[in-house]
Amino acid sequence: MKTDVTLKIAGAAGQGIQTIGDLLSEVCHHSGLFTFSVDDFESRVRGGHNFNLMRISDKEVAAPGNRLDILVCINKDAYELHKQELRSNGIAIVNADKPEAGDKGRFDIPLVKLAQEAGGKITANTVAAGAVLAMLGAPFSLLADILKNRFAAKGEKIVALNMAAAQKGFDEAKDLSLETGFTWEAQQVNNVILSGAKAAALGALAADCRFFPFYPMSPATGVVTNVVSYTDKLPVVVEQAEDEIAAVVMAIGASFAGVRAMTATSGGGFCLMTEGLGLAAMTETPLVIVNAQRPGPATGLPTRTGQADLLFSIHASQDEFPRFVFAPGTPVETFETMKKAFHLAEKYQVPAIVLLDQFLADFRMTEVNTLKVDEQIERFYKQNDSGDDNNPYLRYALTQDGVSPQRLPASGPGLVRVSGNEHDPEGHISENAANKIAMTKKRAAKLPDMIKEMSPPLLANPAAPVFLVGWGSAKGNILEAVERLKAQGVEIGAALFKDLWPMDRKAVKDALAGKQLIMVEQNESGQLGRLLAQEAGISAFDSILKIDGRPFFPDYIVQKAKEIMK
Amino acid sequence: MITSKDFDCNYENKWCPGCGNFQILDAMKSAFAQQQIPPEKLTLISGIGQAGKTPHFLKCSMFHGLHGRALPLATGTKIANNDLTVVVNCGDGDCYGEGGNHFLAAIRRNPDMTLLVHNNQIYGLTKGQASPTSSLGMVTKMQNNGTSSSQFSALAIALAAGTGFVARGLSGEPEHLTELIVKAMNYKGFALVDILQPCVSFNKINTLSWYKERAYKLEDTDHDPQDFAKAMTLALEWENSLPLGVLYEAAGTPFHERVPNLNAKALAAHDYDSKLMAETLFKNL
Repeated sequence: MKTDVTLKIAGAAGQGIQTIGDLLSEVCHHSGLFTFSVDDFESRVRGGHNFNLMRISDKEVAAPGNRLDILVCINKDAYELHKQELRSNGIAIVNADKPEAGDKGRFDIPLVKLAQEAGGKITANTVAAGAVLAMLGAPFSLLADILKNRFAAKGEKIVALNMAAAQKGFDEAKDLSLETGFTWEAQQVNNVILSGAKAAALGALAADCRFFPFYPMSPATGVVTNVVSYTDKLPVVVEQAEDEIAAVVMAIGASFAGVRAMTATSGGGFCLMTEGLGLAAMTETPLVIVNAQRPGPATGLPTRTGQADLLFSIHASQDEFPRFVFAPGTPVETFETMKKAFHLAEKYQVPAIVLLDQFLADFRMTEVNTLKVDEQIERFYKQNDSGDDNNPYLRYALTQDGVSPQRLPASGPGLVRVSGNEHDPEGHISENAANKIAMTKKRAAKLPDMIKEMSPPLLANPAAPVFLVGWGSAKGNILEAVERLKAQGVEIGAALFKDLWPMDRKAVKDALAGKQLIMVEQNESGQLGRLLAQEAGISAFDSILKIDGRPFFPDYIVQKAKEIMK
Repeated sequence: MITSKDFDCNYENKWCPGCGNFQILDAMKSAFAQQQIPPEKLTLISGIGQAGKTPHFLKCSMFHGLHGRALPLATGTKIANNDLTVVVNCGDGDCYGEGGNHFLAAIRRNPDMTLLVHNNQIYGLTKGQASPTSSLGMVTKMQNNGTSSSQFSALAIALAAGTGFVARGLSGEPEHLTELIVKAMNYKGFALVDILQPCVSFNKINTLSWYKERAYKLEDTDHDPQDFAKAMTLALEWENSLPLGVLYEAAGTPFHERVPNLNAKALAAHDYDSKLMAETLFKNL
């Protein structure tokens, strides 16, 4: 009896593929099951070829499956494209008005015709969801509950229409049962389904971020879109800037005035933001930037995924300055990372960059709900209670730990002077050589304490002689690959990096000492490997690198790891 | 009683002797004193260039930012705390060249702040290249055959883009300039004062006497600042005569009144409310 099912819903953009996926997810969630759902779409609004790849399991799954148990094709082209991905006993449903004599395991169902019979073509997606749930052995009542909830606001007529449509699909497919071992029963669970984009938005809001200037760019737009619905309840402003330069600089302006602010972009936009990044660093103004990575220089592949901005993020902008770089692995981790990024950016008065990627920003995953808001937000601004000609407030006072007491402008007698030019402790332009040395050293003096804030890499099966090493969104794939390899008798573990920069060289060396390392990254040169070589003196690597713009699959890592370890 | 002396600051000034910026600085101090704004209640934001250094030379809180980016910096500051009195200092290259897109966007947003553009028609800090406001054909060391781009008509563009307060001042008319700055700061919304000034080091054509020979005050005419068409005609007047004063003034809705969450109180003034936060974020998850 299968308790881990993979299905794909495929068709053209605009055919409601995501709606079917969302309905299935909700029903699974309602029964305490876990889903992992990832969309594959082209950079177009209508037409083309898109699909949703969903995995349903009775345990948490953090990676997509790739051999299909069920394939739902909204058009016939989709069947031709994906039929070879079906398992030998897999089932395909193809939307066709007239059934065609076809392959074993292919069943033609007139989804649109059934929807019309139910009362409206628009419910074809609900018909499909009904059919899939019948195949999975779920009782109709579960889907009925979800439909009632989902469409309640639209009135009884719409609810009835969708119920009828779901019933048609359900009845049509009830003989196509796949043998699953799921327990279908409505229950109260403490799970949450989130995308990385939504989790980043929630995490920023929970950190009391109140200002989100941004310029639209896939795949980062979803981060800010997810904030918008909260602006009617919380003191939060979203502002579409004229370009990414303005977006990052507006965030810096707000932060200067005491409001936590962030912006989100992808690599190309982050290129434009590097000037602002330097301004935040030089003026020691807290700043958080989310870079949701996509592949390629220039425009690249706008709706695809990659992990090739790690070294860029660590080095972006001219000269040198301390910064944080984080790369969470799951949506819940993204929520926590955003809170941490805001806290540390303000505590150390430095920029913090959170690296997502298209895969993590867009996949939707069920996790145990550990989301919390803090009773109080620790703020680091100081009272502006003194300052005159003889004893001026020193915005850039030289301190042991490099952090100078920060005050807000016009909040008291002290004048707050901030300059992107090299400045003296008072904030005035200074070309004095001794001052230049002192200020550069002051900024760098934050690093030892910043390093202490960094969590070491997460180790899986730490006694194993071989480690798969990755960062960010590769986490789920790598952990699953380790489990599968162990089950096949392969002695392997993993080291997974979330807190990337500044790097605790000693902790990293200790964690990786004596291991054979296989870098698992979505870039061409093994950027984390290069960083480990530079920082921790670890120079021998094998690597599993994927640069096709599509996410990793555990199968792929398992196969490549076995080839390397042969 | 606050006087302009209260803004005097002992930080060493770095402008060339005879620079028009000195008179602009004096006019700013007088304008702040006239309005009884103490230094600690004033936030000046500036770009890069000789004009961008202005906030260093008087008592105020300040953010001396990046070339071309003063306006988004100031906009972010105002969005965070609309209670701040924000005045922006830019040069012609800074605001109309490097920051051109931000200039147009700031006009459209209409944040409640004042922009002072120190317009000497030349790049001073980088030593004498043509600026967007240099006359077509002006010879410089860099443009040795004369500039090949036509002059950026800042006031006309500001009007066309919808600026609610458009004025021109001259550094050599400091009292008149003071009045313009006061009016601009009292305007509810984005106010532009383009200030003509000589560059004694690099602009040998548009000298103070060149400006003075051509300048006349709109107050001495029957100009009605509500007359948009006339304002546009005045904005395009150049070469033989230069109108000084308020070309155009019309009430508009400032940014903070367009955005619901900025309307009632400053974003920075809200207390964090963990209960509201938890309810709002987690209710429908």
